[in-house]
Amino acid sequence: MSKVKCDHCHLEFSDEVMIHDGERRFCCNGCQGIYHLLKDEGLESFYAKMGDTTLSPPTEQFEASSNFDTPAFHERFVTLNKEGLSQVSLVIEGIHCAACVWLNEKALHKMDGVIEAHINYTNNKARITWDHDTVKLSAIIDMIRAIGYNAFPYDASLQEVRANRERKEYYLRMAVATFATMNMMWIAVAQYAGYFTGITQEIKTILNVAEWVLATPVLFYSGWVFYRGAYYGLRNQAVTMDLLVVTGSSLAYLYSIYITVFEKGEAYFDSVAMIITFVLFGKFLEVLSRKNAADTLDIIGKHIPREVSIVEGENVREINVNDVKIGDVILIRSGEKSAIDGEVIAGEGSFDESSLTGESEPIFKRPGDAIISGTTSIDALIHYRALKDYAHSTLSNLVNLLENAMSHKPRIEQLANRLSQHFSSAILFLAVATFWAWYFWPHTFDRALMVGISVIIIACPCALALATPVATLVGLALGAKRGILFKSAAQIETMAKATMVVLDKTGTITQGRPEVVYSTLLKKFDMSDLYSLVNSSKHPISKGMARYLERTESSVQAGVIEEASEIPARGIVGRSRGVMIAGGNGRLMEDLGISVDDTSERSLFYYAVNGELVAVFELRDLPKEDSAEAIKSLKKASLRVIMLTGDHEAAALQIAREVGIDEVHAHLSPQDKAEFVARAHDEGYIVIMAGDGINDLLALANADIAIAMGSGSDIAIEVSDVVLLGDTLTSLAEAYAISRRTYGLIKQNLGISLVYNTITIPMAMMGFVIPLIAAISMSFSSLLVVGNSMRSRWLYK
Amino acid sequence: MDGWVVAMMLGASLFLGGIALAAFLWGIKNGQFDDETKMMNQVLYDDESELNDAAAQDRKREALKKTAYKPE
Repeated sequence: MSKVKCDHCHLEFSDEVMIHDGERRFCCNGCQGIYHLLKDEGLESFYAKMGDTTLSPPTEQFEASSNFDTPAFHERFVTLNKEGLSQVSLVIEGIHCAACVWLNEKALHKMDGVIEAHINYTNNKARITWDHDTVKLSAIIDMIRAIGYNAFPYDASLQEVRANRERKEYYLRMAVATFATMNMMWIAVAQYAGYFTGITQEIKTILNVAEWVLATPVLFYSGWVFYRGAYYGLRNQAVTMDLLVVTGSSLAYLYSIYITVFEKGEAYFDSVAMIITFVLFGKFLEVLSRKNAADTLDIIGKHIPREVSIVEGENVREINVNDVKIGDVILIRSGEKSAIDGEVIAGEGSFDESSLTGESEPIFKRPGDAIISGTTSIDALIHYRALKDYAHSTLSNLVNLLENAMSHKPRIEQLANRLSQHFSSAILFLAVATFWAWYFWPHTFDRALMVGISVIIIACPCALALATPVATLVGLALGAKRGILFKSAAQIETMAKATMVVLDKTGTITQGRPEVVYSTLLKKFDMSDLYSLVNSSKHPISKGMARYLERTESSVQAGVIEEASEIPARGIVGRSRGVMIAGGNGRLMEDLGISVDDTSERSLFYYAVNGELVAVFELRDLPKEDSAEAIKSLKKASLRVIMLTGDHEAAALQIAREVGIDEVHAHLSPQDKAEFVARAHDEGYIVIMAGDGINDLLALANADIAIAMGSGSDIAIEVSDVVLLGDTLTSLAEAYAISRRTYGLIKQNLGISLVYNTITIPMAMMGFVIPLIAAISMSFSSLLVVGNSMRSRWLYK
Repeated sequence: MDGWVVAMMLGASLFLGGIALAAFLWGIKNGQFDDETKMMNQVLYDDESELNDAAAQDRKREALKKTAYKPE
């Protein structure tokens, strides 16, 4: 059994299972198809460029590409540029390497009417420009799929374009500031040397003017960000870091012009440039880290269908999703996403509900079953009746709820901002005091002014301004490595200050799948009957039973149970070969007249044949393997850990005992949970809440930090302040640890900058500060802060 | 040395430096540095066929401009 590489995807399989095509070997029809397509198009240099990378064989499940041509789609995602050509932004799925990008670009360029296909290598986002009259977008999408990739649109308009523009602007400002500062430093060397060894006034003036020319664009172009920030801060009556930077640098700038013109002393232009450059760098880091988070979240594509197919008698009509009325019959084809809640009236097939529940197993829908908006049909062609209109359907309800929740989130002010308010007032006070002190010593007005100004300059807010951005950058990097995405830097501080953790039981602490742990067989019976019975239901208990039977009895076969019916909250009954069988909980047995002892902490599944109890199974929803450990570490960090659940008390207490939680509240409705969190918040606790995306939405909205498990669902990602890609409680504990460490780092950095200033300000007040000292002090303090952050990063990897 | 010599040297250096800065700023504005992976990997795909491809795309664009008249 020799292993052979597929000639397309380069994955290895044994020779016997491969498709033999002359000299070539392929692992599947998909790879074979693509290989021939590339050859025909003249693109087989792709394989040379690919090198050693392996691809994944193409999948078959696609949403219909005709969706890309609908007017609703175009209204949302397609724009016209100034040349009248259509443009769309897509994310290309399946890209493994640079060669894949090359292939996509080339394949699209070969198409008539495609003017530009520009794909970003780093985040796989593509911008395609094409002529609508020559080629349709669906043909472009088909081509992408034909060569083995997939594409879906993302809303490039709002956040991303803004973020891109912001980032570019920052790049430009940084470039100007850095260029100016670096050049100013070599001019400054001459000035410093001149201070000590003597310099003629003429040369000094020339140097000062040169510095002035360089400092001006830095202050007004690069520093414009701070002027804007200070202005908005003042409008809201807040003294921000920006104001501090602006006053310090502007005063120094004006003073230096005065010095230059009147030829009276030392100019501080280099300090001005350095302040602006360093603090801008800090802001720049913040902007960069925000963009990376947004990119990752975009790739987890989400889109809401804009158009719906309505069945009217013989015809099918496309209407806008907002025009659907209750009672309309909607047609869903395979690959399409539903936008309206409804009930199936004809057809059957499997649906993918993972965008809502995170559960990737397909759910089979039959007439009478409910269709929830936001789910995708995998292979079903279904007619269903709308039970609600779009505004009241689950999907749009969730979206509205989320938007409301976001706007009500409490914002904990960042430590650095609070500090800077006191800091700026203190500095200004000291500077003025110094000026007056020197003036009345007595010294000349000029000397007094110089010393006063030097106090402001030396109290450079560089270290203060860099403290938080650099620390949060480290924190974000540490988190990202472990699959933890903090949506914003402020979340790190909030999480570090948390005092309470509220956990949902099912799906968060437990696996969410009941498993059989004990079975009592009272009489012999046919296992296949039982297996067929439980197989006909999708209830978690039935699925647990089915798994158990598959594991323990290898000979079971699923047959057909006549008259099988599932009774909600009871169980399943049916008939097999004339014998009546029933499986379910204690209440079902009661209904059938069979008496049972129904006290247990676990879920009980009774099986009765012909009215006689023949077996009892106990099922438990087991906690996730790492839950106990994670909860232990959370408690060790002095967090109050509470479990909330809608399940009954006995089961909750059992799980709580196993994982080590002391406080349990059971039998809660989603409303109760939300109220609990709100109350805790009012009592002054800072609450981290981890729960299921859908059921706990209200509670999550009330928490300070919301973490939705089930990272597979779009809803979870929308709701979470911290996205845990690992979906385990261990990630939660890690996220907390990282946030604490980062917060500690922020405090350290702020401490360093304060200590630094305490040393240098007295020096300034005593008149020892010259531009050289100021420049060195600024660089040194910034280096200390950055170095401290790097040390932390290196220590904790 | 005389003042004007110093001034001249400063002016010349800063002017040359300014040209470099301008080129860099143009590059940022034009999106040359947007994609770091592409920047690194493009050296692999820099041959004649790439140039021809780019020329073909430009020609396509020009052809459209001439034939299509988009009224306001």
